[in-house]
Amino acid sequence: MKNTMIRSITLSAAVLLTATAFAHDPSEHMKKNEKPQCAGMDHSKMDMNDPVAQAMMKRCSMADHDMKKEGGHDMHSNMQNQKTMEMKAADHDEHQH
Amino acid sequence: MSSISAKTCLKRVAILSGFVLLVGVAFLYSGLYPMGADTPHFRATYWALETLREQSVARAAADVVVPENINASDRLLAGGADYNDMCSGCHLKPGKTSSDFSLGLYPAPPNLALSHDEHPHSDSEEAADKRRFWIIKHGIKASGMPAWAPGHDDERIWNMVAFLKVLPSLTPEQYQILTAREAGDIGHH
Repeated sequence: MKNTMIRSITLSAAVLLTATAFAHDPSEHMKKNEKPQCAGMDHSKMDMNDPVAQAMMKRCSMADHDMKKEGGHDMHSNMQNQKTMEMKAADHDEHQH
Repeated sequence: MSSISAKTCLKRVAILSGFVLLVGVAFLYSGLYPMGADTPHFRATYWALETLREQSVARAAADVVVPENINASDRLLAGGADYNDMCSGCHLKPGKTSSDFSLGLYPAPPNLALSHDEHPHSDSEEAADKRRFWIIKHGIKASGMPAWAPGHDDERIWNMVAFLKVLPSLTPEQYQILTAREAGDIGHH
C-alpha cells in the first residue's frame, strides 16, 4: 500500500516535470538582451544596396529610436561622448610621453 | 545435380546469415561497443553514416521551395538573433573558433561562420538553402542537431537560413549588431 503511494507520487512528479520540459516559448532560449554596439559603424564604407548594411542601419536606427524614447541619451550623443573620451585619452597619452 | 548444389548453397547462406545475425545480437548485448563521443568511428563507418545522411537530406529537401524574398534585410535581423541564441554555441560565430560544444560533440558540428568554400558541400546556392532549411526544421538523428520545427514556424526557420547565407561574410562587429535583440523582441513574427 505504502509502496503504491510512493510510486504514484514519484510518477506524478515525473509527469509534471516532463510536461514543463515540453512547453516551449521562444524566450526560453533567449540570451541576455544585448544592445547593438553601433558606435563603431562606418557609414562611409557601407554599400546601401547590401542587405547586411540595410539590416545594420535598421537595427541601429531602431536602437537609436528606443533610446530617444526612453528619454535618456541618444545614440549620437553616446557616440559623441565616446569620441570625446577617446580624444581625451589620446591627449592624456601624448602628455605622458 | 545442379538443383542439389543450389539447395546446399542456399542452406549454407541461410546458416551463415543466421550465424552473422546471432553474432550481431550478441555484440549488441555485450556492451563492448565504445559509445563515448570521444571515440571516433572507423573511417568506413563514418563514410557510410555521412553518405547515408547526405543522400537522405538531399532527397528529402528536394521539394522544399525557397521563398523569393530570402535575401530581404528584415530576415537577417530576425534570423540573426535566433541564430545567436539557438545555434552559435555549437556552430560558432565570427571571431570564435571553438566552444565546449564544438570540441565535444561527435560528429563535430560544422563551423557555419566559415566561408562556404571551406565546407565540403558543393551544392548550388538554392540547393544549399533547401538543405539548411530542412536540417534546421527536422534536425539530424544522433548528431546533437535538434529538430526546431516544434515551436518554430517555417517563416522563422527561413529567417535563420537567410542569416546563414551572409554569416561567413560578417565581421564580429557586424555580427554583434545584427544579432542584438531589442527590448521586448523575443523572436515573434
